[in-house]
Amino acid sequence: MVRTGLLGMVALALLQSTALGQMHGQHGSEAACDEPTLRCATKVTPAFGPDGTLWVAWMAGGQVSVASSPDAGHSFLPPSQVTTKRLNLDWGPDARPKIVVDRKGGIALAFSIFRDEAFNGQVLYTRSGDGGKSFAELEPITASNESQRFEAVALDQDGTVFAAWLDKRNRVPAKQAGQKYDGAGLFFASSRDGGAIYAEASLAHDNTCECCRLGLTFAAPGRPVVIFRNIFEGGVRDHAVVTFTDVSTPGEIRRVSNDDWKINACPHHGPSLTVAPNGTYHVAWYTNGKTRRGLFYAHSRDEGRTFSAPMALGRPDRNPTRPFVLAGALGTVMVWKEFDGEKTSVQMMMSHDDGETWSSPRTISSTSDTSDHPLLVSNGRQMYLSWMTKADGYHLRAIEDQP
Amino acid sequence: MRRRFAGILGLSILIASASALGAPAALKPFERGSWQRVLRSHAGRPTLVHFWGVTCGPCKIELPLLGQFVKDHPEIDVVTISADLVPNLSAATQSMLDKAGLSSTENFIFGDGFVERLRFEIDPAWQGDIPRTMLISRDGTIATIEGSAEITDLEKWSAEQISTH
Repeated sequence: MVRTGLLGMVALALLQSTALGQMHGQHGSEAACDEPTLRCATKVTPAFGPDGTLWVAWMAGGQVSVASSPDAGHSFLPPSQVTTKRLNLDWGPDARPKIVVDRKGGIALAFSIFRDEAFNGQVLYTRSGDGGKSFAELEPITASNESQRFEAVALDQDGTVFAAWLDKRNRVPAKQAGQKYDGAGLFFASSRDGGAIYAEASLAHDNTCECCRLGLTFAAPGRPVVIFRNIFEGGVRDHAVVTFTDVSTPGEIRRVSNDDWKINACPHHGPSLTVAPNGTYHVAWYTNGKTRRGLFYAHSRDEGRTFSAPMALGRPDRNPTRPFVLAGALGTVMVWKEFDGEKTSVQMMMSHDDGETWSSPRTISSTSDTSDHPLLVSNGRQMYLSWMTKADGYHLRAIEDQP
Repeated sequence: MRRRFAGILGLSILIASASALGAPAALKPFERGSWQRVLRSHAGRPTLVHFWGVTCGPCKIELPLLGQFVKDHPEIDVVTISADLVPNLSAATQSMLDKAGLSSTENFIFGDGFVERLRFEIDPAWQGDIPRTMLISRDGTIATIEGSAEITDLEKWSAEQISTH
């Protein structure tokens, strides 16, 4: 009797584990399917090439692939697989492959994997010099074997590729010295040959929050600027920007706002930054601080020394998330996601006066299942929403000034 | 031959029994409606619900402390929910729970890719930051601790639950 009971338990355990195995199929997964195709992607990152070709890099089925579209996302040419085998990709909510396309059509790519069972990360990079037909063998962006994640990549006017990421190498000497080490270091490196070889990594700022995406762009030629969730005194995880004087020299750390979010946790929710042609910094971020909670926008007209008063985004009862801001030829645009209990929508608002005033939010897309973060991408004339959804696939939708 | 078969059968049962006894309860998929079922099944009992994930640094530090808390406080129902979004994590999740002494608690793992909806059912304002702990009193009052919980705070809450009983 007892044995029957135990065997019954074994059978039940087996049934449960089978059920759990099935759970990781399409229903339980963020992906619609498990192939390395665009339709199965959970994260899709766009970039326009100099000739107006749209390039997308995506994660699907444990692989990273790239494809181009000559008609702004209506159709895609056969993809190139960047990875040659299934990898334990960094699937964290703020992780995604990064792609930039230079003036000569060279493609620089970077993404993170989990390198071990303790989920230590590693940033890998590669480059294509033949218009995306083939990619060089994957290389680690730094020789350090400590955990790296949340890489960001941007292209300078002269073709220099600048990369920044979060790196835990400094926890080792701290531990050896018996000292507490919080967060991760903001590290950077640049490549003068379009992303074939990166210079040795350097530290821009230590003890930043370790689990949020970075925002990266160029404030001016040769001057990258990074927005990141910092750890300020007392464990306050508020945002900061650092503007470089050149690709090797980080400037001072400047606080975006005093949200007073003291938390020892992984927010999994990083900021967004764009710099307008006139030099205005536009930033959007999420906080859950004592001072304010939700999504916020601010701008700076003095390279981050001072920022405008934070402006709340979205409906608080609809859990606004994942803000993205981009300055373009026709204005500055912000998008974010809202959820009403059943559907996720992308909200958009636009400013024609460099962030002083904004249009009312408008729903520009929605879906009834899980979705990637909404991103904005511009070809220099037209801005687009780039959004991958599980139910409806990948969309590139032109941002219209009027409904 | 018969004896040998019986011996193998006996050994098989023994192995099966041992693995059943030693094996932790399987991770349950946390899906649409699971949150209300958790609330209903623990109604009237002080319950600590801990949200965590294997890729979250602060979670790795907190989980063994929670394991000790569970050992010290059998009067508190403890439920863990792995809210990490990385796929195929059941083995890593179970391994970390086992190491933290949380094999026998009621353990869930997010089993629906539409995480916005799962989170919305739990707390419409929650954007997915972990660790996160919800302390549910006998009367259903919920106090939420965002980020790593101080064990002293959990002890204090636990003592209050006993004294108000």
